[in-house]
Amino acid sequence: MEFVLEQVVNGLITGSMYALVAAGMTMIFGVLRAINFAHGEYYMLGTFAAWYVIERLSIDYSVAIILGVFIAALIAAVIGRFVMQRLIGAPFQAGVLATIGISLILQNSVILAFGGGYKVFPGGWIEPVEIFGLGMAQQRIVLIVVAVVVFASLEWMVRATRMGKSIRAVSQNIECCQVNGIDVEKVVWRTFLLGTALAALSGVLTAPVNVSVYGGMGESITLKTFAVIVMGGMGNVRGTLFAGVLLGIVESLVAGTLGLQYRDSVGFIALLLMLMLRPQGLFSQKARF
Amino acid sequence: MIRTPIRTLTALAALAMSSFFTPAAFAQGEVLKIGLVSPQSGANARYGAFANKGANLAAKEINAAGGVLGKKIELVPGDSQCVPAEGVAATQRLITFDKAPIIIGDVCSSVTLAMQPLAEEAKVLLVNAASSNPDITYKSGVGGYKWTFRNYPTDEVRAAVVLDHSVKNRGFKKFAVLSVDSDYGRGAIKFTKKYLPKYPDAQILSEDYYKEAETDFRPVLSKIRLSGAQAIIMYGQADTTPIVARQMLEMGLAGKVALVGNGEFNAKSTIAAAPKVMNGAVEAAAWLPEWQGPKSLKFVEDYKSAYGGEMPNNHAYVHWETLHLVAAAIKAANSLKNEDVRNALSKIKYESAMGTVTFDDHNQAVLPMVLLEVADGKPVIKGAITTKVEYPAAAK
Repeated sequence: MEFVLEQVVNGLITGSMYALVAAGMTMIFGVLRAINFAHGEYYMLGTFAAWYVIERLSIDYSVAIILGVFIAALIAAVIGRFVMQRLIGAPFQAGVLATIGISLILQNSVILAFGGGYKVFPGGWIEPVEIFGLGMAQQRIVLIVVAVVVFASLEWMVRATRMGKSIRAVSQNIECCQVNGIDVEKVVWRTFLLGTALAALSGVLTAPVNVSVYGGMGESITLKTFAVIVMGGMGNVRGTLFAGVLLGIVESLVAGTLGLQYRDSVGFIALLLMLMLRPQGLFSQKARF
Repeated sequence: MIRTPIRTLTALAALAMSSFFTPAAFAQGEVLKIGLVSPQSGANARYGAFANKGANLAAKEINAAGGVLGKKIELVPGDSQCVPAEGVAATQRLITFDKAPIIIGDVCSSVTLAMQPLAEEAKVLLVNAASSNPDITYKSGVGGYKWTFRNYPTDEVRAAVVLDHSVKNRGFKKFAVLSVDSDYGRGAIKFTKKYLPKYPDAQILSEDYYKEAETDFRPVLSKIRLSGAQAIIMYGQADTTPIVARQMLEMGLAGKVALVGNGEFNAKSTIAAAPKVMNGAVEAAAWLPEWQGPKSLKFVEDYKSAYGGEMPNNHAYVHWETLHLVAAAIKAANSLKNEDVRNALSKIKYESAMGTVTFDDHNQAVLPMVLLEVADGKPVIKGAITTKVEYPAAAK
């Protein structure tokens, strides 16, 4: 029993991270109908930017969180303007090619600039605390709290604010929005910025406990995120939270019982089953937000 | 890496042009090309960077002393990414395009195992400096591959030594396995299990293998904590050790569960990641900067002054030493014919920084390795072991 409980807690933590990254990817899919295959790269950029300001400029971790997200968002703003906005109304293949291309460019630029080796992430609140006999770094508690706050605010934003409503509108019918005077390009750009900033935030918050930082770290994140958004229902933010946490918990249980080597297969098997049996996602048929 | 036909064509055209304009005498007369395959990107890029720096330092030293048989050594690097397919591609490039008669490589055992048949077919001398999977030399010399040599201790000896020290001197009885999911990680555990029955009280409670890019070890560490294991047998990647150590610290395993095996437990940066966890770690390594021999200490000084004060690691040392070993073999052969160099290498008695190196009939180096323990944040050398492999009859 203690074992299962521990694994659930472990999974909850990993799952929060998956959900944070996936929320952005699913929103971008909502407005663009394109899967952002470079999503993990913004996670990497955020982490790298934070690593850079801590390691090279000796800035404190709490400030580095903001700077990391800001720098990643800055890069995303440029890519959003010149690439993502042009994908509006473009065929599906264009989105795949463009985002895979961006992923390669971002990864290799970072490797070119900082080398291909692992870097140790220096900052963070890594002192262990004990909760119900289970030791964990303070950082992990921060991660869970942030995930809850972010999802609550996202929920509020898409229901109550003008920006949220326009995101919902664009994801339902682009032509109608254009007729009604909603600036679709602006909505796409803002959604992309918000989504990538969430990925970067997740990266900066997990870096202290994942310790290592390197150019290719985003790849596996993109793959897992893909499984999460399919499970949650493409474009469904609330579903993403549940799907992310679910994947995290099942992964932990599998890693703890069958063995760590089988962990990554969980996401892929879930992805296959979902696409075969419930391509619309676990939770609903239509609702996107 | 996506290769389009156009890019391949351009590359071929460029290659044809370059060989057209390069005077043949320069290409073959003045320099001796030696290939160096190592992971330069991906999760093991750290190893490749050290390997290149070590080998380059040796090349500089050899060339400054007049080269070998009047020729300057030119190192031609290839990136394996620690992926067998990439390593094979890099090796093929070195053999076909660069016409390197000698290749040093790779660090990762899985890659080296894939490179062996290529070297054999092309009659290119493959001198491995840093892969430890026992199969590499089980299959070499009288075992099959005539062109593969290994100047590095094998995990068979390493596994036996680590297990013996852990059980006898440290009194551990309950072990959990957490190794990297590769020929290196799995091979070392296979040989640990071979020697386990020698200690009737000792047992392995759980067995897990992590993927190269894994960062979340909590599920497995939870299991290990509840299982009551006293030590984790880990044959892992240097870059992953700090992640595991930090997560062990988080879960309150520091001082309760020790790490034994190999994965740069002795490196300063690893110990700094979680000193309380690393204290008491047991490791068998081919070399470490703290080794107190005059040749070793001089290498550390030379390396530091060549690379801005950076401390060399095991992989920098073994690649530095191996290139010197190859140069010594060429000098002993007094010929650049590959066959002669190979014969000279099999008979060589080379004075390395760790002691005398000779090769057995499996082309495996017989050389000393260090057993160490981390205490108070510093590696303490517990002894040196000469690594002579006793091959079972079937491998002969």
